[in-house]
Amino acid sequence: MSRIKAKRVGFRLDMTPMVDVAFLLLTFFMLTTKFRPPEPVVIDLPSSHSEKKLPESEVLTVTVSGDDDFFMGVSSQSTRERLFNAVILPKLEATGMSPAAVADSLKSFRLAETFPVERSELDRFVVMARFADQRLRPVVRADGGAGFEAVDHVIKVYKKANLLTFNLVTVLEKESR
Amino acid sequence: MGMVDTPGERRGTKAKGHQRKRIGFRLDMTPMVDVAFLLLTFFMLTTTFSKSNTMEINIPPEQGEVKVAGSNILTLRIPGDGMAYCSLGDLAPRRIPLYEPGDKGRKALSGDMRSLLRQQSLSNSKLVIVVKIGQKAKYKQLVDIIDELNMMKIDRFSLDDYTPQDDLEIKKSV
Repeated sequence: MSRIKAKRVGFRLDMTPMVDVAFLLLTFFMLTTKFRPPEPVVIDLPSSHSEKKLPESEVLTVTVSGDDDFFMGVSSQSTRERLFNAVILPKLEATGMSPAAVADSLKSFRLAETFPVERSELDRFVVMARFADQRLRPVVRADGGAGFEAVDHVIKVYKKANLLTFNLVTVLEKESR
Repeated sequence: MGMVDTPGERRGTKAKGHQRKRIGFRLDMTPMVDVAFLLLTFFMLTTTFSKSNTMEINIPPEQGEVKVAGSNILTLRIPGDGMAYCSLGDLAPRRIPLYEPGDKGRKALSGDMRSLLRQQSLSNSKLVIVVKIGQKAKYKQLVDIIDELNMMKIDRFSLDDYTPQDDLEIKKSV
């Protein structure tokens, strides 16, 4: 136009979009925070003064519940798949399951953090998991009230599979003596 | 800080004695942004992924026999009746309560147990502690014992199987 606009010195920004973004991020983080997945059994871990941290990847966890039931979990999905093909697949095929149903159960097995294991089958599963992934670190996650006999069974299974260094999961006890 | 002159209002008009109430006023949103970002950064910085604590255990392989002189072995037998039977070498075992009788939480081993372990490990540097836990015992007792040994910096201990032979040994206890 004819008149040149003078540059404003004390101009103000409209902050509404910034507030929008901030609150959007805030609500996004608040809503997408995933809580720990519900576990098949509640484990009341024993306490200790150890401060070592559990590695996040490549762990083979055997959980022993308070009723001396065994559960097993492998951290990586590819290992789970190989485990399924090695141990569970022959059993399902023996029962005459259709291929579609087998694929379906494989899908759910890949996503399963932990799955129940029969006492007698535990050593097969452990040996197969070890076969699928050599670097697996064995972990025992047992309830404080579990019988020693059940935990001893897990230790013996590890020993048989030549896994001689393993971790016991505990919670930190803050009480210095 | 504070209120802002809105561009839409009529400026330069003469003050007519009393101020008109403004209709289209604006809020300063800076504090709200501050709070929002503060919360955001707080949540982003304080989220930690919870990792469990672990205790590491080594077990001897199947065919690994290590010969240790009998007098250097302190055997702890935990049959699961709340008692511990400690025997040095082939001596008759001493019967010690595993937890303090008054301790409801069962957080720590009894003082007798701790003092015995400490005294034995200090008096003999070659001492090896063999822990034998019976089938009726609880897993928590194993964790408590290993935890106690770890805190006393005793690393020469091993787990062994509890056999009927051990039941006979316990019967000889003092």
